[in-house]
Amino acid sequence: MAKVLEGPGMGLMKKWGINVPNYVVVTSVDELTKLGQANEWLKKSKLVAKAHEALGSRFKLGLVKVDLDFKAAEAATKEMIGRQVGSITVTQVIVSEMIPHKEEYYCAVKSTREGSEILIANCGGIEVESNWERVKRLCLEVGQSPSAESLEKLSKEAGFAGPLAKKMADFAGKMFACFDNEDAQYLEVNPVVVRESDGELVALDAVTLLDGDAKFRHPDWNFAFAAEFGRAYSKNEMEVMAVDSKIKGSVKFIEIPGGDTAMLPAGGGASVYYSDAVVARGGKLANYAEYSGDPPDWAVEVLTEKVCSLPGIKNIIVGGAIANFTDVKKTFGGIINGFRKAKADGKMNNVKIWVRRGGPREKEGLDAMRALKDEGFDINVFDRNTPLTDIVDKALQK
Amino acid sequence: MSILANKDTRVVIQGGQAGVNAARRMAEFCYLIKRPLNVEAFVYPPDAGKTNEIPYGSGLIAIPVYKTIAEATKNHPSINTSLVYIGADRAMKGGMEALDDAHIKVVSMITEGVPEKDAKLLGAHARKLGKVFNGPSSIGIISAGACRLGVIGGAFDNLVLSKLYREGSFGVITKSGGLSNEIIWICSQFADGITTAIGIGGDAYPGTDYVSYLEMFENDPQTKAVVIVGEMGGDLEERAAEWYGAKKRRVKLIAVVSGFCQESLPKGMKFGHAGAKEGMKGEGSARSKSDALKKAGALVPPTFGALGPAIKDTYEEWLKSGQVKAPVEPASLPKLPKTVEEAMKADEVMVAPLIRTTISDDRGDEPCYDGYPASELINKGYEIPHVIGLLWDKRLISKQEAEIIKRIMMLSADHGPCVSGAYATILAACAGIGLSQSVAAGMIMIGPRFGGAVTDAGRFFKYAVDNKMSVDEFLVYMKKNHGPVPGIGHRVKSLRNPDKRVKELVGYVKSLPIKTPCLDFALQVEQVTAAKKDNLILNVDGTMAAVLVDIGFPVDSLNGFFILSRTIGLIGHWVDQKRQESRLIRLFDYLVNYAAPKRREVPPLK
Repeated sequence: MAKVLEGPGMGLMKKWGINVPNYVVVTSVDELTKLGQANEWLKKSKLVAKAHEALGSRFKLGLVKVDLDFKAAEAATKEMIGRQVGSITVTQVIVSEMIPHKEEYYCAVKSTREGSEILIANCGGIEVESNWERVKRLCLEVGQSPSAESLEKLSKEAGFAGPLAKKMADFAGKMFACFDNEDAQYLEVNPVVVRESDGELVALDAVTLLDGDAKFRHPDWNFAFAAEFGRAYSKNEMEVMAVDSKIKGSVKFIEIPGGDTAMLPAGGGASVYYSDAVVARGGKLANYAEYSGDPPDWAVEVLTEKVCSLPGIKNIIVGGAIANFTDVKKTFGGIINGFRKAKADGKMNNVKIWVRRGGPREKEGLDAMRALKDEGFDINVFDRNTPLTDIVDKALQK
Repeated sequence: MSILANKDTRVVIQGGQAGVNAARRMAEFCYLIKRPLNVEAFVYPPDAGKTNEIPYGSGLIAIPVYKTIAEATKNHPSINTSLVYIGADRAMKGGMEALDDAHIKVVSMITEGVPEKDAKLLGAHARKLGKVFNGPSSIGIISAGACRLGVIGGAFDNLVLSKLYREGSFGVITKSGGLSNEIIWICSQFADGITTAIGIGGDAYPGTDYVSYLEMFENDPQTKAVVIVGEMGGDLEERAAEWYGAKKRRVKLIAVVSGFCQESLPKGMKFGHAGAKEGMKGEGSARSKSDALKKAGALVPPTFGALGPAIKDTYEEWLKSGQVKAPVEPASLPKLPKTVEEAMKADEVMVAPLIRTTISDDRGDEPCYDGYPASELINKGYEIPHVIGLLWDKRLISKQEAEIIKRIMMLSADHGPCVSGAYATILAACAGIGLSQSVAAGMIMIGPRFGGAVTDAGRFFKYAVDNKMSVDEFLVYMKKNHGPVPGIGHRVKSLRNPDKRVKELVGYVKSLPIKTPCLDFALQVEQVTAAKKDNLILNVDGTMAAVLVDIGFPVDSLNGFFILSRTIGLIGHWVDQKRQESRLIRLFDYLVNYAAPKRREVPPLK
């Protein structure tokens, strides 16, 4: 799943015929000033300025300003750019036209096991959250498109009447077209509003989640995907992602500040069980990491260096199930090189390493790990006869 | 018994190298259970018409590669299962092609990163046709003692350790590939092993979910319990719970779910597989799944580590009640033949080497000449002549000797375009022949009449000196036994028109404080022969030969000095012709003496 920021999200909606307010995404006040000279609407309309970052609760943080004239929008942009919120620095601001409206509605399309679901409600904004029963659904099987009649029926069920029922049905139809053709996993517009000037429905805010795996058939996806957990990716995380994009197999790395138990496990399934075991034992995770699919040793080495560079770690959990085809000796070779580099940089003082693994060439791999003891590492190595997460129990024993 | 994959499963693999690797693993399993290879064909258009060689035991089986599924099933009508290993961008097309073939009932997709929509379309299409679509991102399916589809089960040693050669009582369904192996291992150590283990893949919407397979296991009397390894995200575990709780089930359900760590992580932080993502209102959390499974009556150990003991308790109960009998292990199992390298490493075989070398070794990170690393030679100031010394005579020659060799090479690097070697190379170059062949054409000319007399000259001068012959004795000996003296005589040079190269080399060597018995002898021979005939002088071959013998090079290496030096010139001539874009040349008629019979009539054939 790949989250897309509001600007490119609205761009995709516009592509499929959905009315969106005029908007610009800027990285400086100067840019906005220049755009103001080129675009009449910026000078004529009331404006909204929002920090264009993957941040939750922007309103509370003062990163959404409404009812601005152009001057005020420039001031708001100046204030927001460069603001630091946690690990995120605001680098972009989206300035859009305010659409005067009275009523707010809701429309979303989400992926389901069978295909997808179109959701609409004749209330919107925060009202929809507290009146979830007013949301009406139309379930569609994969490969099936909604008929005009079924959409109108849905619209009426949701309480839309007269010409608005038809308009809402059309709007939902376009949302579905966007969802289906853009390989979206979730599209939400809240609120949908009636533009007073012409009575047309307009999407005021967009949540767009796309299927990153489908990127190969969307050459026009020229935007970056946003981190999904309310902060920007760190430098180390981005470096591991860059490695991941180049290799067969995969390496993943997410930092969790404040933890003292570093994770370096293999496999997408086992890695979560290891994280569970740490939490269950009262430990504090310093990161999530994973290598899988027989990645090259150098990629595992990079991942290892990042794990070892986490501040304040006491234990490193090099766990893993019995691999099917990941070469234990080769991948451990990468880990060992990473450990050696970290040790040379003085990062392994008072760090205990815990290893458990099985799979092709497990004996050679485990033997090589054991040999690290002779180089002065505090390392404990276990084979397949020790249950998967027992090393976590041993590591976190008080 | 087993589900999905059994002794009648015959497979087509769609894909290239990854598919071939899987077939190798499958062949190892077939060998372990003493059954023929279950892979009948590959479909991979770039290699259509070729075969893939799959090791089976100590032999190789050639499996044909086809362009389409239809061709494969037409030629191998017993195929009923397809494994898809093609790239994510083409996986859907390949999967559909397999599903649409009437012979194929099960399609398992290994490809990772398949778009969600494609996976759903494949799943829906399979359901419509009443077939099974497993995956994407599936590690495979394995039925103990019967059939392996994909790399599930890991290396051969692991197949044996996990007792996959015979049936147990546990079915296994996992999303994770690594954990499937772990559970198979646990079932074999804490109980009697598995019937069938299925990797359904970690995507959000796998083609076939727990429920469909639970239903199949329910109908397989050999399977007494099913272990599912769940994870947060989606609703597959909840659906499994719903199925299990709906009515009394014959199979026992044992389940673990991962993702409890999510509760104490920053919101929205996503781990693990693509499908491992919580819904907006806490649905799909590890806790809600675990609770649903418990509520439905499934055995849900608190942690992954507690799974083994739970399986053990279950199994021991069955043993006590007589529901299952302890399995009988086979007396012996086939051992996977080791490769020669593996067997040698384990000190199990001795191989008589095919060749023996005493000069060089490149098995390390750089070549070593007679034991000396090339880079160290460079860094310590050694030069090409020293490398020649090491490789031709296995010794580190002195600076002075190196200087002599260098001069010999410089003097004999080229001798103009007219000599046999250069002329042959030029002729070839003008005919458009490549560098190595053109140089080889020049090389072929090196022999007794051109450049190839060095070795023989050295041999005979050395013979004379070793046997303390006088010049006269030597000349008599040569005349009687061998003919003209190699190294003596020149086509154009003579006493009056001396060869400057010889003068240069002799002058230099004689200026050095070294003993040169061969050279001295050769010069004495020249005095006698040149007195008889003007052009019977010591030529460059003879001079080189005498000097090289004097500094200790073995007689057999001597022609090498000329060959090596002259290669420089031959390469030069080829490059020169190439750069000039020279055209094809042929002799002019006036350069040929046509001494053949005049034109005449051909008599009738008798």
